[in-house]
Amino acid sequence: MSTNTALPDVLDDSDVSRRDRLREQHGAKAPLLALAGGVLLLVSGLLSWSYDDRILGDISIRFYPAGIQIYAMVLGLVAVVLGVLLRRRPGWLNPGRGLAAVGWGSLVFVVVALVTIARQAGGSININEGGWVALVGALLVFAAGFVAQRFELNVRTWPRLPGWAEILVIVVLMAVLLFTTAYTLGLDDSWTFVCLLVTLLSVAIALVGSGFGEYVGFVGGNNRRVLLLAAFLVAFLFPFTQDGSDANMSIATQILIFAATALGLNIVVGLAGLLDLGYIAFLGTGAYVGAMLSQSTFATIGWKPPFLVVMLCGMAVASTFGLIIGSPTLRVSGDYLAIVTLGFGEIFRLAMFNLDGTNGPDLTNGPNGIPAIPDLNFFGWDFGKVHTVAGIPLGRFSNYYFLLLLLIAFVILVFSRLNDSRIGRGWVAIREDERAAEAMGVNVFGLKLLAFAIGAALAGLAGTIKAHQDTSVTPDQYIFLESAFLLAAVVLGGMGTVAGVLVGATILKLLPEKLRDAADYRLLLFGLLLVIMMRFRPEGLVASKRRQLEFHEDDEELVQLAQTEHLEEAK
Amino acid sequence: MELAQQLVNGLTLGSLYALIAVGYTVVYGIIQLINFAHGEIFMVGAFGALSTALLFFRSYVDEGQVLPFWALPVLILGAVAASVAIAVLMERIAYRPLRNAPRLAPLITAIGISVFLQEAVRLLYGKIPGFPDAKQKVPFPKIAVVSGDAWTPFGLTIQRSTIFTVGALVICAAGLFYFVSRTKTGRAMQAVSQDPDTARLMGINVDRIIVVAFVIGATLAAIAGIAQGLQVTNVNFKMGFLAGLKAFTAAVLGGIGNVWGAVLGGLTLGIVEALAIGFIPGTFGGSSWKDVWAFAILILVLVFRPQGLLGAKVVDRA
Repeated sequence: MSTNTALPDVLDDSDVSRRDRLREQHGAKAPLLALAGGVLLLVSGLLSWSYDDRILGDISIRFYPAGIQIYAMVLGLVAVVLGVLLRRRPGWLNPGRGLAAVGWGSLVFVVVALVTIARQAGGSININEGGWVALVGALLVFAAGFVAQRFELNVRTWPRLPGWAEILVIVVLMAVLLFTTAYTLGLDDSWTFVCLLVTLLSVAIALVGSGFGEYVGFVGGNNRRVLLLAAFLVAFLFPFTQDGSDANMSIATQILIFAATALGLNIVVGLAGLLDLGYIAFLGTGAYVGAMLSQSTFATIGWKPPFLVVMLCGMAVASTFGLIIGSPTLRVSGDYLAIVTLGFGEIFRLAMFNLDGTNGPDLTNGPNGIPAIPDLNFFGWDFGKVHTVAGIPLGRFSNYYFLLLLLIAFVILVFSRLNDSRIGRGWVAIREDERAAEAMGVNVFGLKLLAFAIGAALAGLAGTIKAHQDTSVTPDQYIFLESAFLLAAVVLGGMGTVAGVLVGATILKLLPEKLRDAADYRLLLFGLLLVIMMRFRPEGLVASKRRQLEFHEDDEELVQLAQTEHLEEAK
Repeated sequence: MELAQQLVNGLTLGSLYALIAVGYTVVYGIIQLINFAHGEIFMVGAFGALSTALLFFRSYVDEGQVLPFWALPVLILGAVAASVAIAVLMERIAYRPLRNAPRLAPLITAIGISVFLQEAVRLLYGKIPGFPDAKQKVPFPKIAVVSGDAWTPFGLTIQRSTIFTVGALVICAAGLFYFVSRTKTGRAMQAVSQDPDTARLMGINVDRIIVVAFVIGATLAAIAGIAQGLQVTNVNFKMGFLAGLKAFTAAVLGGIGNVWGAVLGGLTLGIVEALAIGFIPGTFGGSSWKDVWAFAILILVLVFRPQGLLGAKVVDRA
């Protein structure tokens, strides 16, 4: 192996040194370039981009920024701020890396915008001066990012703010988050959405890359309770921004169900390192239990207990299935587990499809499934009705949204408590080296089985709610591809982290809803995304340091960062 | 008579599984990777054969005529070329960079490739000028001698495609036996599967051997693709998923990493499935439950004999 890897290393070195030389020679110009580019982007927002007022929202009016013009101004503002910071060099920031991200982002953004204008209006003649100004600005910022010097980060010299100011930082951040989410969901046009996505992504990468992310993490770590509370408050307030509209709330509930299930899967895959390819079957088990024990006239079992009992039944049945599948396969290799769970997922779907009375007992009504599941009713709060709270109407999906928020809070609680416990450490030990863990006295088989059962139970719980929210349960909701999607949410976001999975689930559910133009190519892109992620960022978008280290063992800077973090945790 | 007929059906099904299963087992034996996208290689092979027929025997296809027998080797060549090309590309682009990554990474990559290949065929095959839209089933051309009326010796029904499938398995198994045990590359392959590091020290180019393993698997899968096309007279972009899953079950049943195990496992699985269709009484019999029985067997094998029927190798946390 060593002979193979030596060659590219040498090439990389010369490449890196050439770039370093460039930065040494021209690095001093970077702040000026960034300022100029940023100002141009800011100005472009005030100019007209297109003659046609029907493209990408209305961007034809001067001195009245709208739609993508505002995104250009945001990018410009970030570039200006980073340019100023680059000049002043505070020790805890690395504006160069941030500039690179903003440069890439604004270039992609402007090119996408201009190409869209040219395509939809029939030729680049329809692009107005604002578009060209923005292009020049983006190129300048890109150049600035390319030549800007990178600094060594000194992580210990974060500026300390008084407690109330740190809380204010969190509150402002959360408010921005709420506003952006509501705004993003309100967009209808696919290409405007792409532009926004590029903007948000590059700003986020810029902030994380330049060290703001770690600063926020540091502040959040100081005020963990406040952060958690603020996050849930923001999530709780979200339906009130929707003005009674159910369209976005329907997407939001889907995201929450998906995220809750993916978090359950994250216990199995992310913490214990067991690859489960049939996880959707456990969600399906919960959903079928929920449907069969519901008040629906099509329910095949006569027993109709209250919903609380149904939830417990769903969990119990799902985790029993988990134990049945897990106990034979967890003794052998991890690869077998992947395929056996895949097989189990198929068995589940086929069984639900077949159990219609002609092939075996009538439990599930076969391919028709169980329709007409009534809405939930908690102590007189009918989930199917519109309730008005503080003058704002909250529709059916808002009701389920609140319930699902509780569910996801519960799942996150289970996840983080387990992760911090002896059990969680045992799982990590197994994931890293099973034999070493066993030698150290970790009950490998028992802990694996526990991970499997807990994951299954959480999915079963989510399933019982899903049955009521969807009002019907059919076998074709639980195909293998859904399991692959769940796994992708975990992998894309970052295995073993809560925030990562939430991000991954949101991206995977939101993109297809908003990119209707590319609906047919959705799965193709999905497959490609999995391959590319595994190749270039296998630890996911939001990765824990420990996990990152597993994939990049030879990165020494990372080793040190992980060690300092570890030491601080131990203190 | 009923039993004999089910055995014939099982043998047909089993030969198909065996041809695909060899691909799983050869690759697993060398780099301990479950090439989850192998089912899609099988699918690509079938579409490769179809494309060859459309390119070179267009007049026959358009008029709905039966292709002459000498078209069969040409179709096989086309299928093998398509499968091998995709398999080698896949190994080079997606798997090789992940050779030292944690085990989850290549498996997830494999899922990605599998979804990607299915969708690529579904969406893009019809966009090639002159090719039919592949979003639905596409009829597979008929070939003289290997498709046509069934033979009925002793009251049995033996489809001609059965003869082709079983014959292909016998020839491929013989060729594989010769290759693995008699040729230099084959022995190098054995050496690599036993100990890759030592093999490298002995001057074996391990990267090349890995590519050879993928090529062998793809070749057999392509032939299986044609066999499937002849049996059910159509191909579709989804055909690789279930077939791949069953073939993997067969490979595990026989003992993964062992080529003869894959053949034995495939035949056993096919026969068990056929017998389950024919002889399980009551409502759980019949073809709607056959897949369930196949997976139930997989789970049972893992409980009682995780090393498989022929697997001498101790199954480790691989």
